[in-house]
Amino acid sequence: MARVALGMVFLLVVTLLMPTHVLAQTKDDTIVYALQSDVQNWDPPNSVLRESIILGYNVFDHLAARDLKSGKVGPSLAVSWKNLDDTTWEVKLRKGVKFHDGTPFGAKDVKATFDRVLDPNLKLTARGNHAKIKSVEIVDDLTVKFHTDGPYPLFVERLTAQVMQSEKAIKEKGHEWMQDNPVGTGPYKLVRWQKKQEHLLARNDDYWGPKPHYKFVRIRIIPEQATQIAELISGGVDIIKAVPPDQMDVINKSGAARTTTSPILRTAMIQLDQAGRSGPNPMQDKRVRLAANLATDMDGIIKHVLNGLGDRTATAVNPMAFGFDSSVKPFKQDLAQAKKLLAEAGFANGLDIGMLTTGPTVEPGLIQTTEAIIADLAKVGIRVKQRFIGEVGPFTNLVRDNKSDPMFTWSWGYYSIFDADAILYDVMTCNQPYAYYCNKVLDDLVIQGRSTLDPKKRAEIYAKAQKLIHDDAAYLYKWGLRGVWGVSNRIEYDAPKDEVDRMWAVAPRKK
Amino acid sequence: MRRYLVRQLIQLAVVILGISILAFGILHVLGDPVLLLLSQNAGKDEFERYRHLLGLDRPLYVQYWKFVSRAVIGDFGKSWYADTPAFKLVLERMPPTIYLTFSGLAVALLIALPLGTLAALKRHSWVDSLCTMLAVAGQAAPLFWLGIMMIIIFAVRLRALPASGYGTWQHFLMPAFCLGAALAPITMRLVRSGVIEIMNMEFIKTARAKGLGEPMVVVKHALRNACIPVITVIGLQFGQLLGGAVITETVFAWPGVATLTVESIRNQDFPVVQCAVILLALLIVSVNLVIDLIVGLIDPRIHTA
Amino acid sequence: MSTVSAEIEQARVQTPAVERATLRRLLRLRWGVLAAVVLLLIVASAVFAPWIAPHDPLAVNIRHRLAPPAWIEGGALANVLGTDQVGRDLLSRMIYGGRVSLVVGITAVLMAASIGVLLGLTAGYFGRNTDWVIMTLVNVMLTFPFVLLALAVIAVLGPSLKNMILVLGVAGWPIYARVVRAETLALREREFVLAGRALGMSHLRLMFLQIAPNLTSVIVVIATLQVAQVIIAESFLSFLGLGIQPPTPAWGNMLGEGRVYMLNSWWIATFPGLAIFVTTLVINLMGNALRDWLDPHLKL
Repeated sequence: MARVALGMVFLLVVTLLMPTHVLAQTKDDTIVYALQSDVQNWDPPNSVLRESIILGYNVFDHLAARDLKSGKVGPSLAVSWKNLDDTTWEVKLRKGVKFHDGTPFGAKDVKATFDRVLDPNLKLTARGNHAKIKSVEIVDDLTVKFHTDGPYPLFVERLTAQVMQSEKAIKEKGHEWMQDNPVGTGPYKLVRWQKKQEHLLARNDDYWGPKPHYKFVRIRIIPEQATQIAELISGGVDIIKAVPPDQMDVINKSGAARTTTSPILRTAMIQLDQAGRSGPNPMQDKRVRLAANLATDMDGIIKHVLNGLGDRTATAVNPMAFGFDSSVKPFKQDLAQAKKLLAEAGFANGLDIGMLTTGPTVEPGLIQTTEAIIADLAKVGIRVKQRFIGEVGPFTNLVRDNKSDPMFTWSWGYYSIFDADAILYDVMTCNQPYAYYCNKVLDDLVIQGRSTLDPKKRAEIYAKAQKLIHDDAAYLYKWGLRGVWGVSNRIEYDAPKDEVDRMWAVAPRKK
Repeated sequence: MRRYLVRQLIQLAVVILGISILAFGILHVLGDPVLLLLSQNAGKDEFERYRHLLGLDRPLYVQYWKFVSRAVIGDFGKSWYADTPAFKLVLERMPPTIYLTFSGLAVALLIALPLGTLAALKRHSWVDSLCTMLAVAGQAAPLFWLGIMMIIIFAVRLRALPASGYGTWQHFLMPAFCLGAALAPITMRLVRSGVIEIMNMEFIKTARAKGLGEPMVVVKHALRNACIPVITVIGLQFGQLLGGAVITETVFAWPGVATLTVESIRNQDFPVVQCAVILLALLIVSVNLVIDLIVGLIDPRIHTA
Repeated sequence: MSTVSAEIEQARVQTPAVERATLRRLLRLRWGVLAAVVLLLIVASAVFAPWIAPHDPLAVNIRHRLAPPAWIEGGALANVLGTDQVGRDLLSRMIYGGRVSLVVGITAVLMAASIGVLLGLTAGYFGRNTDWVIMTLVNVMLTFPFVLLALAVIAVLGPSLKNMILVLGVAGWPIYARVVRAETLALREREFVLAGRALGMSHLRLMFLQIAPNLTSVIVVIATLQVAQVIIAESFLSFLGLGIQPPTPAWGNMLGEGRVYMLNSWWIATFPGLAIFVTTLVINLMGNALRDWLDPHLKL
């Protein structure tokens, strides 16, 4: 008997000794943000994930920043800029800014950051974004000169797309260290990262800009959407994103939280492997691609599956981006024509093909819309077999490493640059890591588009480009997304149309 | 006693050896690591180069030896996804799993011991039938279903407990209860049969003949000796517990080894899967060994065997 | 391990004669019969699925998605249990899902039983080294949680119906081996076996024709109970996305997909969950009844 009692006591003690997290934060000074998938590193130029961009905005600063209300690009770490000639820009930096480790921010950091990003040996993801920059020259401690490879119309816009990293960290600590340790100038600093579980950010009290209201930010990784919604309603999380449109009424009726939506730059599509990167496949034939586009009733899917939360696009270019041409019309569903094209291409009895898919981390309703699309494709004989990779990091790695299927779901956030170049270059030109389409004619157009400063000329070039990728049915085009956020009723927060969740701008709701 | 211990240790070593072969075999025999690492378009020479690099062109037993010799010092390779050593990742996530498993066990025993004993004592009565019915129904309910329902009721509707995560004792309540409730039915039946067996034994009849009151008989004599089957039950159940923990962790987003394993399987991150499988096996085997030792200590029948 | 011997001792509970004659046993059997009837209905619906199912389980109809069951406002008799997130009829998917569960359950168990009984007979009959080797293998596999083993193998082989049956079948054999071995060990020394040996019967004949028939009741009981276990394991794997892949309907993956809809379109996940529960329950009840009827001494 004594032994049994001893055993029970032992068990009880073990149970009670379980660690209770000593949370230094209280509910009132902490904002809790949920992500479905964790970032792979804290080095924004070394990642293609939207999560990296968002976290980057909170811990680092950029040279310029977009004002959400006006939509215009304004000063951030840079206070002014002017182009001295067609290929030279002079940028003046802000005085008195310090990195989280205390070192002052200056021209040397700008040069070190860009030198690193442009280094062909490092192969950082962001390299393509800034390929037009040839070099960065230090003029004095607060002035830099950018030399570009020909005229670069997107120079100012792209200043909002590169975080400024510390020269000290780059030179003294090195690449490996930087993956886990961000040294930025931003409104929050990273205190703790438990990989795949949560990040803890603490307010930077020496921040040069407006002081954030909340002292701490807890970023929780919650892979299941059902759990995210349960947490939002029960008060465990304050902000969730990519809410499925079907669940919006649940959140709005809960009394504890509400939803807020906004059209965002992100555009969805299904990439078709015209370039043959996954191996020889039917999508290399234009007729098959056209058939796929004609088989699907995208308008119906937006209406019924997304409850209208999507804006149909004719190509991958979003209506909010500069260069969008509304004269190119989206495909209309035509099952007979689709079957005819397939027969011409030699697939009178249909074909079997694989599709790589991932979870709805940034695209609301992805799973359901994909099922609807696959059902439509089956109507003309295109039999799709899905391969589902839940986490978005490994999914993008497969795409990058040529290990995808001939079709895969894809969306692009343009790095929050409202310009057609920001999608065409990365997603549709040859030899880009995440582009499975290769067409020399398009490449030429894209290069031209980013090399002239005349907006009228650029618009014409992009109109030509859109007609090209539409007629060639480069991809299976879907729609421009409407972002849906779930927000706790204890805070004020509006859906950001550039898809960047600004934790420093969150304020408690006034009673 | 010493001979018993030695025999147990030999058994343990053999089992661990077997599991290491299993873990190694699963990746190297069933699958092709190179195929999984490289893209389908890679040329034949790339394949050969990687095969040589990974040492896959060596005979299997050489590869196995390398695997084991590295594993023993804790080197399971780096996670293909997170670029951290697999061992470190798995070890970090062990404590939440262990805590969950023990809490689940505690809950299961808290339910099963009284109910099982009661059912055994009141055999053939309606109490017994009711308990058995509950047990059968309980065994049939899928654990993940139970978990989802609990989250909806307690977190979303009642807002009394957190929906997921780890940290405070409130985070423990639902997962532990869920796991415990899932194991309770079978534990209860094993307790019941164990107690029945004891109650029929000679010394109980002797105690009764001595004129001791029934409660005394039960408490002092029966339960004390029921330890043995009960502890044996715990030992048998530990493997089941971990299986249940896999399900519970997934539903409650518990940051333990099980969720890590499932994620790694989804991401095809094999070093982590291998490492997790082996470490979990080690855990189970160690617990079984401890249980066997305890039983060996208190069960007089084994001493003389 | 001592746990093995303790378990075997437990397996032979001294039941006083009074138990056999009680009402309780009869009652138990009544439940068993009822359960068998329900199970028969489930099996029949699975077998006759193409004739019973009102709709094509794969027919997507986005205009009628998320329709509630017929008795709720907004529902229609055309879709008695409602439709799912892309408009497929839930009842039809449930019926076809039952097919998957039963096929996996029965096939995997047949596989496991065949392997396990064979190995158990061999171990028990030949004893010594063979016994030691086989039992070590059994211990190794039994140490490991069924679910984790299945997960690890699926990781390498990839999720599919074929692989699931393979994995669950291979993971399930140890329990048969252990029990069959114990029984074989006991039977080996009985007169009829010794007599057979004296007459010069070959080992194989003795094993399969003399000993094995005595094991049928044990095997049947274990197999029945294991079908339920396998069905739950399959549902869990499918729930995780590592089993039957959508759009093929399986109760597990329907539960998984329907999870996010629990707060409004609850029927999508609830009915499959209920199906798993009821099926497992009746199989367990029938298994228990079988055990009581065939061999009340067995404490499994």
